[in-house]
Amino acid sequence: MKTEPVLEIKELDVAYHTLTDTVVALKGVSLSVAKNEALGIIGESGCGKSTLFYAIMDYLPVSSSRSGEILFKGEDLVVKTPKQMTKFRGSKIAMVYQNPYSSLNPSLTIGFQLEEVSMFHHGMSRKEARQAAVETLSDLHLGDAAGIVRRYPHQISGGMQQRICIAMALLCKPDLMILDEPTTALDVTTEAVILDIIKELKDKYNMSLIYISHDIGVVNKVSDRIAVMYRGEVVEFGNQNTIYKKPEHPYTRALINCMPRAGVLKENTQLNTIPGYVSRRSAAETGCPFVARCEKRNATCEEKYGMVERKPDHFSACDRAYATDIPDKVLSKEAGSIPEGAEPEHKTILKIDNLYKYYGPHGKRIRALDGVDLTLDRNNVLGVVGESGCGKSTMGHTISGLMRPTRGKIIFDGTNISVSWRKRSPETLRDIQLIFQNPGRSLNPSFTIENIIGRPMLKLLGIKSKQKRRKLIVDILKKVDLGEEYLFRRPKQLSGGEMQRAAVARAFSIAPNLLVCDEPTSALDASVQASVLNLLVDLQKDSGAAYIFISHDLNVINYLSDYIMVMYLGRICEYGKKTEVGGSPRHPYTEALLSAVPDVDPSLKRGEIRLHGAPPNPTKKIKGCPFAGRCHRKVGSVCDTTPPPRVNFSDTHFAYCHISPEVLNSEISVKGIKK
Amino acid sequence: MEFLKRFAKRLGFTLLTILAMSVLIFFLVEIMPGDVAQTVLGQSATEESVAALRDRMGLDDPLHERYLRWAGGFIRGDLGESLYMRGVQINTIFWRKVGHSVVLALTALLFYVPLSILFGVFAGVKEGKAPDAIISFVGLATMALPEFVSGIILITVFAVGLEILPIASIIPIGENLWQNLDILVLPALSITFVMFGYVSRMQRSSMVSVMKADYIRAAILKGMPRKYVIFRHALKNALLPTITIIGMNMGWLFGGLIVVETLFGFPGLGSLTMSAIKTRDIPLIEACVLFITFIFVFATFTTDMLYAFLNPRIRYKRGDA
Ligand code: SF4
Ligand code: SF4
Repeated sequence: MKTEPVLEIKELDVAYHTLTDTVVALKGVSLSVAKNEALGIIGESGCGKSTLFYAIMDYLPVSSSRSGEILFKGEDLVVKTPKQMTKFRGSKIAMVYQNPYSSLNPSLTIGFQLEEVSMFHHGMSRKEARQAAVETLSDLHLGDAAGIVRRYPHQISGGMQQRICIAMALLCKPDLMILDEPTTALDVTTEAVILDIIKELKDKYNMSLIYISHDIGVVNKVSDRIAVMYRGEVVEFGNQNTIYKKPEHPYTRALINCMPRAGVLKENTQLNTIPGYVSRRSAAETGCPFVARCEKRNATCEEKYGMVERKPDHFSACDRAYATDIPDKVLSKEAGSIPEGAEPEHKTILKIDNLYKYYGPHGKRIRALDGVDLTLDRNNVLGVVGESGCGKSTMGHTISGLMRPTRGKIIFDGTNISVSWRKRSPETLRDIQLIFQNPGRSLNPSFTIENIIGRPMLKLLGIKSKQKRRKLIVDILKKVDLGEEYLFRRPKQLSGGEMQRAAVARAFSIAPNLLVCDEPTSALDASVQASVLNLLVDLQKDSGAAYIFISHDLNVINYLSDYIMVMYLGRICEYGKKTEVGGSPRHPYTEALLSAVPDVDPSLKRGEIRLHGAPPNPTKKIKGCPFAGRCHRKVGSVCDTTPPPRVNFSDTHFAYCHISPEVLNSEISVKGIKK
Repeated sequence: MEFLKRFAKRLGFTLLTILAMSVLIFFLVEIMPGDVAQTVLGQSATEESVAALRDRMGLDDPLHERYLRWAGGFIRGDLGESLYMRGVQINTIFWRKVGHSVVLALTALLFYVPLSILFGVFAGVKEGKAPDAIISFVGLATMALPEFVSGIILITVFAVGLEILPIASIIPIGENLWQNLDILVLPALSITFVMFGYVSRMQRSSMVSVMKADYIRAAILKGMPRKYVIFRHALKNALLPTITIIGMNMGWLFGGLIVVETLFGFPGLGSLTMSAIKTRDIPLIEACVLFITFIFVFATFTTDMLYAFLNPRIRYKRGDA
C-alpha cells in the first residue's frame, strides 16, 4: 500500500431478504482505494457491482442487511446514521450514474440542480453557488456555461447531460467519485471524450475513483487497478496489465476470452463461452462461487479456495487459470477453425440503389437515409457501424420490409422489393429474416417456443404436418444449443441469451438467404454475447446466407464481418473489406471512430482523435459533407457546400471525402491499431 | 412559442366543442315530445292563446333561424325569458345562482385539494407502512359513499347531533350568501368526502413512482435532506398527474353539486337546474345545461394549459444542443 487509503472495505457482506429466503448479494468483499487512484470494477450483470456502490452510500433497500467495515478516511460508514450519511453523500463521496437523462430532474433547471449541492454542503448563497457551478462547468469544457445553467435537462444532448452530472459530482471537490457505467448510454466518440475528461479531472482534483463497468475496455482507459467480481465476490484484484495478460482466476481468463477484441477475428478464433448462467446465491452456499461453470474445477477446489496475494499487489481467489491438469478448451478451439475447402460462391444477392428514407412531416423531416448504395454477395457478412441516429437500423428495417423506402431501389435476388412487406412475395418474405436487439419484445410471450418457430414454417414453407415440423424444430433447436425440453417453454421462462438464441432459431428455421441482425447482442453480457456470436458465425458458414450485421460496437463488427460500412447521418462514409476499413481507414470519421474504441487489451495504443459536439440536427438539409461540423481534418468551406466525391482506394474500398486521394492514401494510414 | 401554439390550438378546439354542444343541446330540447306552447299554457288553454304564444316565442320560424336567435342571445348575454316564471328574465336569477354554486365549488376545492394532496403525498412517501394503509382505507371508504349518504351522515353529526351547523343551506330573504357562510360547510364537506379518496389515491401513486425515479436517487445521494428531496424534487413532478385528475373531475364536481345542492336545498345552479327540469322551463334548462358544458370544457382547457406550464418538456421544445 502506497499511502493511507481513502476507502478501505473489509469483509463486506450484503444480503437481501424476502419473506421466504435470503439472497446473498455481496460476500466478504475487501478492497481499498488509495489517494488519486482509480479502481475499476468489472463483472457481468448480477455480480454485485451496483450493490457494492449502494452499500458504500448506504442506499440499500429496507429488506437488506449489511455487515463488515467500510472505512472512509478512517471513519466507518457502516455505523453512521442516515443523517450523518448526508454529510458524506455528494460532498466527500460523489456519484455519476449510467443514465444521465433520467438522473437529472426534468422539471428543475440545470443551474438549480447544481447550485443546491454547494448551498447545502458549503452553505453558499444562491449567487455564490451559481458562480461555483459556472466555474466547475468550464472545467468540463462546456462552451456556454452561463447559458447552460438556465436550461432544462431535456434541452441538451446526452453527452452534455453526462458532463453536467460529472460537474455536479465535482462541485464539492469530493475525495472519492464513484462512476456506475457512466458511458454505457453514450456513443463511442462521446464516450472517449468523457473518459478523457474523467482522467484529467481525477488528477486535477487529486481524487480517487471507483469505476464500475461491464466493459473491460472502458475500465482500462481510466483505471490503474482492476477488481473482477463474480456472484458477489471479488475474485481477482490487481494491476490492469496483469489482469489482462496474466490472470490467475479461471473466471477472469474465461471472461476476457469471451470478448471480441483487437486481433480476434472469426477467421482465426472462436470466442470462448462460459456454460450456464449467473445464478442467485443462497445463504447456505460456501466455497468457490464459480464452481458450477468452471472448466478447471478439480478435487482440490473445495479446500484451497480463498483470496490470497499471489504476487505483489495481485490478489486472487484461485490460481488455476492456466492449470494444465485439465486441458484448455479455448486453445483447442482456436486450432480447429482454420477455413477449409474451396472458396465459397459469390453471387450478388442484394443491391441497393440510391436509397432514401425520410420520416416526419414537411419542415421537420428527419433524413434517416440520405442516398445509400450497396451490394452484398452470398456468403458475406456486411457489418454496418455508426453512432445512434446514423441510419443503420433504418437501413436494416427498410431492407427487411418493416418500412418502405421514400425513394430508391432495393433489388433482392433480381426482384425489386422496395415495397412494403405485404406486397412482397412469400419467397422474399422467407428469404429475408430480421433479428432484433431485444428478443423479449419480438417473441410473442403467449406462444411456446414450438409455436414461435413453427409458425413461419407453416406459413412460409407450407409444412403442414405437425410431426414433421416438430422434428425440424428439434433439429434447429439443437443447432442453437437449446435442448428438446425448450419446445414447450414460453419466452418469459428463458434468459436473455436463450431468448436471443430462440430468435436466431426462428430466423434460420426457414433457411433464409439474407439475415439482417439489428444489434442482436447489445443487451447481452459478454459471455452470452460470445455464444450468440459463435452461433451466428457457425450458421452462416453452414447455410451460406448473407448477413447484414448492424452494431455500434466496432469490436463485434470487426470480429464478425467480411465487409464494413461506416455510416454517418444517413450516408455512407466509408466502405471496404474488413482489413481495409479496420486496418487502414481513410475517412476522417472512420479514423476518429477507430481511435475511440475502448480496447480490451490495455497495452494497445490508439490514435488520440477526439470529436467534439454532437451530430447536427437531422431535420436540417445538409448540402455538403454531413461530418463537416465535427471533422478534425476539414478542408475548407467546400466541405460545407458541396457533397464530397467518392474516392476509390481499391476495387472494394472507397470513401466520400473532399481530401484529395493522394493525401488520404498517404497521411491517414494505419491509424487503427498499433501494437 | 411552442406554448402559445398549443394555447391557440386548444382554445380553438374548446370553442368548437362549445359550438357543437350548443347545437346539440338546442336540437335535443327541440325534439322533446309535445308542443312547447301547449306545455307551458297547460291542457286547458285555448287554441288562440297557444297560437299567440307560439307566435310570440317565434316557434313557427325555421329551425336554423331560431337557433341563431337563441345562440346570438347567449353571446350577447341575453339568456331569454323564463317560461315558468312568466316575464322574468333568466339573467336576473341565473347569475346569482351560478355565483352561489361557484362559491360552493371553490369552497369544496379549497377543502379537498390541499387535503388530498397532503395526505396523498404522505401516504406515497410512507409507501407500505401504517399511515399509507390508513389513508388508503379512509379514502376508499369515503369514496364508496354517495353524496346523499355522506351528506346525511354529516347532517346527523353536525347539524342534528352537535347543532353547530345549519341543517339546510337556506339564505333567509333579504340576506345574501356572505352573511350566511356557515351554510357552505356541510355541502362542501360532502363533496370533499367523495373527491378525497379519488384525488389522494392518484397523488399517492404518482408520488410512489416519482420517489423511485433515478433523479430522486441522485438527489438523495447528492446529500440532500429527505424533506427537501420530497418537496423540491419530487412534489412538482408528482403533482402533474394529480392536476390533470382534478381538472378532469371538474365536470364530476358539478354533477355532485346538483345532488348536494338538492339535498341541502342550497340555492345554486344545481337546484336551479333541477327545478327547471321539474317545471319544464325550456329556456332555463337550455341555459343551465349549456353553462355546465361550458364549465366542463373550460376546466379541461385550463387543466391542459396548467399541465403544459408546469412541465418544461412541453413548455419548451427540445433545443439543439
Ligand atoms: S476454485 Fe476450482 S472451481 Fe473455483 S475457480 Fe478455481 S478451479 Fe474453478
Ligand atoms: S469532406 Fe471535409 S468535412 Fe467531410 S470528412 Fe472529408 S474533410 Fe472532413
